Amino acid sequence: MKSSTAHKVLGLLFGAGFGFVLAAANLHEYDTIHKMLRLEEIDVFLLMGGAIGTSLPLLWWLERRRANTVIGGPLLLSRSKPRREHVVGGALFGVGWAVSGTCPAPALVMLVSGAGLAAVTITGLFVGLNLRDAHVRRNAGVATAADGEHRDVLASPR
Amino acid sequence: MLSTTFAALLPDRLPWYIAGPALGLLVVGFFMVANQPLGATGAYVETYKTVTRKPEAVTWRMFYFLGIPIGGLIGVLLKEDGFVRRSGYDALRNELSLGTTALIVLVGAVVMGYGARMAGGCTSGHGICGTAQRSPASWMATCTFMGAAVVTTLVIRIVSGGAI
Repeated sequence: MKSSTAHKVLGLLFGAGFGFVLAAANLHEYDTIHKMLRLEEIDVFLLMGGAIGTSLPLLWWLERRRANTVIGGPLLLSRSKPRREHVVGGALFGVGWAVSGTCPAPALVMLVSGAGLAAVTITGLFVGLNLRDAHVRRNAGVATAADGEHRDVLASPR
Repeated sequence: MLSTTFAALLPDRLPWYIAGPALGLLVVGFFMVANQPLGATGAYVETYKTVTRKPEAVTWRMFYFLGIPIGGLIGVLLKEDGFVRRSGYDALRNELSLGTTALIVLVGAVVMGYGARMAGGCTSGHGICGTAQRSPASWMATCTFMGAAVVTTLVIRIVSGGAI
């Protein structure tokens, strides 16, 4: 899909907003995630709950109203059935997340906060993603349904 | 330690009841503007494809990818501690050498990347954007990685004798 300038500018702006909130909430710190996963602090669980609790009902309401988006046509939410890959991949992700103490987006903020080891984390992420892609290509498989990731929505005039 | 800050406008840690809804509104906002979710795993994938000039690359995702550290740096510089050059991973570094820490972090990140791509998303993609769309696959992936991460952390704690 060809990306329009609007998509690029909006992507940059929303990425910056996302990164700003991650930094403000200290989610880029290994200690924050480590304490959460040690179940010593519930703040990050509450934060995720707050994010879902805000966006889920709003999106539900907008979907029922058949809302139109600004540059992407009618609002389209996607819902897939769980497959084996979601469980096995999720379990692997969870193990790696616990060991490296940060997930993909906060790792980028960790790096610019001055923590040099985040460069190792980001490199490892690129390696892991590509290993999976190579595996899927070798087996002529299909990518797993990813409802939270980019999809091709043509900007249709209604 | 040397630290750089512009102005201490932000608290040490923005409380969850502000940061959580703020993230939720960003997700809804991007759906309402561009009809797209904000998963970070896909941003890594498309950034890699863009940089290696794959014809199917979704270029705007690289701009999203670049936006995250730009916004993150602004947030960091508005805190009292600001930018501090360090290795990071304090809890690991207190127990292990730099080389061992780097190796553990690298292995963890490779497993995390492989798993994220296999599952079709990570904490942002499945954990927030997918769950918010009421996707059963995303709820399943999110519950699995949350559980796996808590159990793994417990195992690390036991193996390290409570040190990590």
